[in-house]
Amino acid sequence: MSNIALGRYIPLNSPIHKMDPRMKIIAMFFLLIAVFVPAGYPGYGVLGVFIVSVLLIAKLKLNFIFRAMKPMAFMLVFLLFINILVLRTGYVLVKLGSFTIYSDAIFQTIYITFRLALMIMITTSLTATTKPLDLTLAIEDLLAPAKRFGVPAHEIAMMISIALRFIPTLIEETERIMKAQASRGVDLKEGKFKEKIMAILSLIVPLFVSSFQRAEDLADAMEARGYVPSATRTRYKQLKRTLKDDVMLMVVVLLLAGLIAMAIFL
Amino acid sequence: MPIAFEKVSYTYAPGTPFAYAALKEVDLAIEMGKITAIIGPTGSGKSTLVQHLNALLLPSDGQVLVLDRIITHADKPKQLKSLRKNVGLVFQFPEYQLFEETVLKDVMFGPLNFGVSEEEAKKRALETLNVVGLDPMIASKSPLDLSGGQKRRIAIAGILAIDPKVLVLDEPTAGLDPQGSKAMMQLFTALNRKYEKTVLIVTHDMEHVLNYCDNVVVMREGKCAAHQTVKEFFNDGKLLHELDINVPNVLRFKEKMIQSGMELPEGITDIPSLAKAIAGRIKP
Repeated sequence: MSNIALGRYIPLNSPIHKMDPRMKIIAMFFLLIAVFVPAGYPGYGVLGVFIVSVLLIAKLKLNFIFRAMKPMAFMLVFLLFINILVLRTGYVLVKLGSFTIYSDAIFQTIYITFRLALMIMITTSLTATTKPLDLTLAIEDLLAPAKRFGVPAHEIAMMISIALRFIPTLIEETERIMKAQASRGVDLKEGKFKEKIMAILSLIVPLFVSSFQRAEDLADAMEARGYVPSATRTRYKQLKRTLKDDVMLMVVVLLLAGLIAMAIFL
Repeated sequence: MPIAFEKVSYTYAPGTPFAYAALKEVDLAIEMGKITAIIGPTGSGKSTLVQHLNALLLPSDGQVLVLDRIITHADKPKQLKSLRKNVGLVFQFPEYQLFEETVLKDVMFGPLNFGVSEEEAKKRALETLNVVGLDPMIASKSPLDLSGGQKRRIAIAGILAIDPKVLVLDEPTAGLDPQGSKAMMQLFTALNRKYEKTVLIVTHDMEHVLNYCDNVVVMREGKCAAHQTVKEFFNDGKLLHELDINVPNVLRFKEKMIQSGMELPEGITDIPSLAKAIAGRIKP
């Protein structure tokens, strides 16, 4: 369970890691919009070169990126299957009796594969280079203007950071309970359907119980320290925007503009 | 020898930067029918060691012999269920593993998993609830509504109902009050004497080791640093000092008395007999 690659922070020392998380989030948004600009394969080529160079500057191993993409393989197979059944345009590729596969079914799937791969690479370039806590700080800052309209920016950021903080704890707890139940003869892999349901139940109920317990304890501990969600407070860690960040954002905006231009004029 | 470790090594997360060798070529034989304490500082490999006993962890290297079964890293999970029936492992804070609607159902859960019939499981559950000293009245209550000490007893009953030959407990008295932990230790003694279970207890409490255990295994930095009877262990002042062990108060008191010139017989380990011996030395 500890080898999940998607969304994991990789502590390295690179220019991308040092950038201001707020600017990285904004840049990520622009890049995600860019993925949906209909500039065709040439557009994806440009975007792909850009994002791969970002990943290389961030010193991330391509192996890691592939592992992050693994979970989508199943989705793509499913998509290919649906496309083959539904899409009936383009020229005929294979004909088996009354069953035909059209070229567009394949091309469409490849196109979407590129799109998904780009999206995963873009989001990974953010999550792998930014500490989860820095991310939440950035989200809080970015949401700050919305405070005027009653959006509880600090509370949202606090909730996200608490949730992130407890993911490893929950994984550890799950492993512990799995082992404890295995000692009682639970077998998550084998057994009949009914036994499997029981096995999952024997895992989920204790997890819920201890999670609620933990939440209550944490709430008490925070209250005991006088935590008031809406209080104004200073921050130990200050986010700083530098010229490098501005240049990076400029490049991203130019890239987006270029892609839009490609979509219109080419 | 029905329980033996032969050059057992275990490494967490092998092949990654986080790789950590928790056990290093441990050689150890546990005496059947006795209560063995496993002690050692945090991170010395105690918990890793006991998890090998019912194959929750498979040795990275070497082999574990448990009741005529040899466990190596090549074992398949499928073949291990019968082993878990013979070795019951109670984890730290086992109350977190309760999940059924009623206490009775929760205790029955283990035996049912190992293919015991519904009636037999129910019979065993009621018996074991009695053995761990719980009122059969609570059998129909929800385990989540009970006190911490009761929950722990139910969790232990849940393992006992499987009727294992070997019972392994990882810090069973952690977080209990002194009365509660004393009662808990007395329960294990009774299980050992009356029901002839081999008991292994991971503990930090030297008073418990002295008062309730027969043998002691000292783990240090993933290795077995000592394996002796409790008597030998507490008489080996040099070893105790070397391992930096907190000697129980009775023994420390006795030591001080001997140092200040009082002659006391060997082998006194409890307060009443020490008091008696001292009283016999003091002239009225």
